[in-house]
Amino acid sequence: MIKLTRIDDRLVHGQVAFTWTPAISADCLVVANDKVAQDEFMKMTLGLAKPASTRLIIKSLADAATFINDARAQQMKILLIVNSVKDASVMANTIAEIKSINFGGIRTKEDSKPISKAIALTDEDITIIKEMLANGLELEVRQVPTDKKVLIETLI
Amino acid sequence: MLLTFLLLTLIAIFGHFEDFLGTTLLSRPLVLGPLVGLVLGDVSQGVMIGATLELIFMGNIKVGAAIPPDIITGGVLGTAFAILAHKGPAIALALAVPISILAELVISALFVFRAVFNKKFNQYAQDGDYKSIQRLHILSGLLKPVLMGIIVFISLEVGATAIKSFLDLIPAWVQSGLQVAGNMLPALGFALLMNLMFNKKVAPYFFLGFILAAFLKLPVIAIGGLGVIIALIVTQAPPKSAAANDDFDFDDAPTEALPVQNQHKLSKGILRAIFFRSLTLEANFNFETWQNTGFAFSIIPALKKLYHTQETMTLALKRHLQLFNTSPYGSTLIIGITAAMEEQNTTDANFDEDSISSVKLGLMGPLAGVFDSLFWGTFKVIAAGVGTSLAIKGNILGPILFMLIFNIPHLLLRYHLTFIGYNTGTKFLQNLAQNNVMDRLTAGASILGLMVVGAMPATLMNIKTPLSMGGGASSVQVQVILDQVVPAIIPLALTFLVFYFVKKQVKTTWLLLGLLALGFAGSIIHLFV
Repeated sequence: MIKLTRIDDRLVHGQVAFTWTPAISADCLVVANDKVAQDEFMKMTLGLAKPASTRLIIKSLADAATFINDARAQQMKILLIVNSVKDASVMANTIAEIKSINFGGIRTKEDSKPISKAIALTDEDITIIKEMLANGLELEVRQVPTDKKVLIETLI
Repeated sequence: MLLTFLLLTLIAIFGHFEDFLGTTLLSRPLVLGPLVGLVLGDVSQGVMIGATLELIFMGNIKVGAAIPPDIITGGVLGTAFAILAHKGPAIALALAVPISILAELVISALFVFRAVFNKKFNQYAQDGDYKSIQRLHILSGLLKPVLMGIIVFISLEVGATAIKSFLDLIPAWVQSGLQVAGNMLPALGFALLMNLMFNKKVAPYFFLGFILAAFLKLPVIAIGGLGVIIALIVTQAPPKSAAANDDFDFDDAPTEALPVQNQHKLSKGILRAIFFRSLTLEANFNFETWQNTGFAFSIIPALKKLYHTQETMTLALKRHLQLFNTSPYGSTLIIGITAAMEEQNTTDANFDEDSISSVKLGLMGPLAGVFDSLFWGTFKVIAAGVGTSLAIKGNILGPILFMLIFNIPHLLLRYHLTFIGYNTGTKFLQNLAQNNVMDRLTAGASILGLMVVGAMPATLMNIKTPLSMGGGASSVQVQVILDQVVPAIIPLALTFLVFYFVKKQVKTTWLLLGLLALGFAGSIIHLFV
């Protein structure tokens, strides 16, 4: 069962390991990313950041969806992490269970504009966001669980 | 009075200088409180107020780019106003909480503003002008201490008399209400700490800590010692290999780390310079690129040695002005690894420059998770547990032990990680990953941390009930009965109550107000003292 779907371009780091994991009592972190799934070095470094009480599973987007849609995953409390708006929308389209997406951190790139302290979006991102909103997803911005939920439609 | 105000302002500036001094926790109320007391001629009151504020702001930590209330400004002003008006910790706290929330807004604005300098930094990088980058890093870093110093000075100058006469007007019942509320607020700090560490697996250690403190009256330092021993014993058992997780498809330990062929072009002196410079990592923190200039500032001694043309220097400087953010406590490991890769870049013609950035950015998040939880979740908790338990009685050893317990491991580790990073590169991390060292470390750390947190409600919270049953000569004090069954049951219950709401993700500000209200109400109806 997915307890939280988060977009964070640093994937697993302090805020994830240290505030979100305990806040939602996650016992399994799923990192869905096509590039990282191929990259042994990245896998190793992400493994270091894993909280002791959880499992870490790193898969490509397609494999991650298969994993989460498997009946056995229903027993787990999953924190799903992707690193871009695009990947988030792919996951939302393949996993019916996702009703809400947390925007945790997307750093500024050349063609993106900041909409909050930790989130910067490109025009393409905004198009995808509008599609997701039209599909009835809740899109909320919070770095850590104790932040106030800010809905993304109030920021763009 | 002017001299006093200037000295107090210097204390606040000193606190904000922490950004230049390695995030060594010298900004905590437990450290600044005694200094304020010293200036105002009442050290032990300063120590006690510092301890009270430390307890309440115990869960007040900086993770990633989330900025907590500015307890430096709030703590210095609150402590100073309270001592000047001859009031106790309760008044200091009533002032410190709102002031630190307001001051945080100023600091957040500064972190937004600082991003303006990024253009300037990039221009300097374009010219290969590392000297100007160093200068601007320091100058922009100075903005925070200077700005907050000015705010503190003006507040003292304008507010001292007004606040004193205002405080004199506060009726006695409000004071005793504040007193009770102030004694309850540490429950919030403890609950926030528990939220970081508490899960079913390690829950028994919390209660072990509580029982040792409540029934056996062991001091926190003894419980910390026992915690170390238990953590060592428990984590000694051979770690279960990842494959033992029999259900489906668990990603195994990785195979190969990046090779670093190191010719040791960088001397010990340069690596030492990197370590010292890394202490300013957070000096120019901003919301756009975070600690980037701190990283560049730290690695410049290596770049100077390695790159001799403007062209190559420009490329290297640009690389290290990219966004960066990690836990300051483990930063030198990444800087050391990066320095080794920069060296390889100068010796190996086939070396892919992009791999430097990708390793740097790949490591910063995961390592932040490791070192933040180790230092905030364990060393800080033990240091604060031992420190406040002494300081709350006015003992000056409290703040001193607090600094030592946190910073001896911090600085030793940070120093050596520079060399480990440079000499072994990512191989060190590979070894850690293969031997499950991290799992054992975090498991041991959470046992130790939780035992100390368990001791806290029993030793550091003073909430009792004055209720009695029956009348006249045969009346029985409820507290006496409670003490015979479970001493410190009220603080424990309160801590769990707050923890429950923290788990429900109720906002900290609401919990703070809720506890204040409960304290006031409890004091008025004589349920708590």
